[in-house]
Amino acid sequence: MESPTRRQFLATTASGLAGILASRTPPAVAQPREISYLCWNNFAPASDRKLAEIGQRFTRDTGIRIRIDHIAHTQQAAKYASEVQSQAGHDLVEMRMHFPWLYEPQLVDVSDLVAELEKKYGKPISSAVETAYVRGVWRAVPQYHAQFVCAYREDLFRRAGLKIPDTWEELYTVGKELKKLGHPVGIPISQNYDSISTAGPVLWSFGGMEVDRDGKTVRINSPATEQMLEWYRKMFRDCMEPEVLSWTDASNNDALNAGKASWIHNPVSAYIVARNRRLPVADVINHHRSLAGPHGRHETDVPRHIAIWKFSKNIEPAKEWIRYLLGRREVYDEYIMSGDAFNLPAYTGLQDHPVLRTDPKFAALRAEGVQFHAYGWPAPPSDKVQRITNEFILPNMIAKAVTGTPVKEAMAWAEREMKRILSG
Amino acid sequence: MAVSSARIGPVLARPRLRELFDHERVLGPAFVSPALLLIGLLVAYPFGMALYLALSDAYIGRPSQFVGLRNFVTLWDSDAFRQTFQNAFVFTGTAVTLKLVLGLALALLLNEQLWCKRLIRGAVLLPWVIPTALSTLGWWWMFNSLYSVVNWTGIHLGLLEPPGPNWLGQRHYAMAAVITVNVWRGLPFFAITLLAGLVSIPRELYEAAEADGAGPVARFRYVTLPLLKPVLAIVVLFSTIFTFSDFNIVYVLTHGGPINSTHLFATLARQVGLESGQLGQGAAISLYLFPVLVFVVWAQLRFVRRQVY
Repeated sequence: MESPTRRQFLATTASGLAGILASRTPPAVAQPREISYLCWNNFAPASDRKLAEIGQRFTRDTGIRIRIDHIAHTQQAAKYASEVQSQAGHDLVEMRMHFPWLYEPQLVDVSDLVAELEKKYGKPISSAVETAYVRGVWRAVPQYHAQFVCAYREDLFRRAGLKIPDTWEELYTVGKELKKLGHPVGIPISQNYDSISTAGPVLWSFGGMEVDRDGKTVRINSPATEQMLEWYRKMFRDCMEPEVLSWTDASNNDALNAGKASWIHNPVSAYIVARNRRLPVADVINHHRSLAGPHGRHETDVPRHIAIWKFSKNIEPAKEWIRYLLGRREVYDEYIMSGDAFNLPAYTGLQDHPVLRTDPKFAALRAEGVQFHAYGWPAPPSDKVQRITNEFILPNMIAKAVTGTPVKEAMAWAEREMKRILSG
Repeated sequence: MAVSSARIGPVLARPRLRELFDHERVLGPAFVSPALLLIGLLVAYPFGMALYLALSDAYIGRPSQFVGLRNFVTLWDSDAFRQTFQNAFVFTGTAVTLKLVLGLALALLLNEQLWCKRLIRGAVLLPWVIPTALSTLGWWWMFNSLYSVVNWTGIHLGLLEPPGPNWLGQRHYAMAAVITVNVWRGLPFFAITLLAGLVSIPRELYEAAEADGAGPVARFRYVTLPLLKPVLAIVVLFSTIFTFSDFNIVYVLTHGGPINSTHLFATLARQVGLESGQLGQGAAISLYLFPVLVFVVWAQLRFVRRQVY
């Protein structure tokens, strides 16, 4: 056979490449069974290591290669926006809270997967339904959730002879004493998500809400909000230090673990970090159940899901990964156990999970009598309600009130801003 | 026949191509086109895209419609945007003025015969060389409420009352903090560029002025300043644009807080456009000052041209 000339070679490869580019389909030999999964840097790092290990086993068992990438949670929104706009990127993505509402038209219907999991583990928890079940379709598969509790310094409470609080009012009573000891309470009032995670429960416990169930009527300017703001004002004045106005999501954990703060409202991550790094404070941190107000005991949790982009060319292998990670009980258990009770199962049948018995300090996570909600409750999640969250209207209203703006004026400001967002 | 012509073809084509490149009309565009292509892809296309997005109701991953200038009008209803607008001018005005005054002072100092001149000139550039996000993280630690070395030192020297200023949690302090970091980072750019301008001023002019009895102040006012004006104008122009569009410092240090008091156009655009998915509004925020900046560029370049020619 005559060997091809350089000209023939170039012409053949160029036309072949043009054909591939025009059809936008790789030739069969180049189609790998490979998927990519983008998720956040978990606050419980051991669970990311476990995920990598499970990924390797998945490849061995199914022949599908998986690439797992991690990204800081603050970068997720920007990264997802660029993937959607360019219609290219990962096949699977981890979604926090209301993300499935934000990216709804871009996400594959995964109702079949959720139905399979429901049969095994029971219905998904309410906050997962609220955030991933979009207009009658599951746009993401509930994976796990982090749950807010109260972390406190047992030794300081004992030293001052203080009772563990059961209501937000009682927290004020003990908080005054704790501040006098030089160990203030640490509730962030700044442009971060932890601020909303506390502001929401306090507002709900006083009977307030941002937007009504219809998703249209703004209800922030109310006597309940006024009570909540008065509570924040006295907490800020008598139990906390002005530093909370500058805090990031990590600051309350840092303040507790550095030995300064005496009480914070957070998932158990502060304790996990203290324990794993063998900080002296780990021995004296414990958790108690969420606090109540005149209208009950409400709490924030952060459900996380796995979704598949519609532009993915590997939808079936991607579904296989979800089935492998979440659908096999032994794998799911192993994954949950690696998260040190920071990642809790997202299905009602698994709520009494063995991970809660791995440390006596996780007892408060059983959370009897606590109602969990995602941000914006009771308004149905929507892109606009999400925007109220992302513009930090709630923490900014509180920040205004605690730094001198009259309560009524702060409420009127928040009402105006929320109405603007909903009408936009 | 076909075989022979195929072999002869390229041989004939080569000299023809070479002849073609002998013409300036062909060679010039051929040299410029790669650069034009790059500018088109990396500058013109994104800019055109941003313009289109700003005039639409684009939302991440959904079909969008043309809405004209609606985004630019409705932004005024947002308290956060009005605050950002004000912040941008306070931030840029203060930071550029400080950088200009301090940069000029530093340049004059570096122009003197100093001990270890090269080392000092190199060291001055350090803040400009270190990646902004990294150095700002260092500043964040210094201003951090729990670990602030600034407050710790102040308190231990008896200059501050414990617990010290709440740098990133109080609106005026927070603005002061972001301006401080911007000035710290931008100062070398001013100093080194102005130093280059100073070095190029002929010595004879100073000698002549001195012979005429001019003191240091008069020499600065009547020799240095007039000859430095074109360089000053260009540096101020560049710095104004860079400072208006700053992102890293605010994003790392305050995230726009407290109560939006340090948000700049770029950080607010990110919050609205990417975090909330409103690409149209986000693009409108980032392009809001474009007409103003175009005018500033035009006016300053005109001024420079007049000075030079």
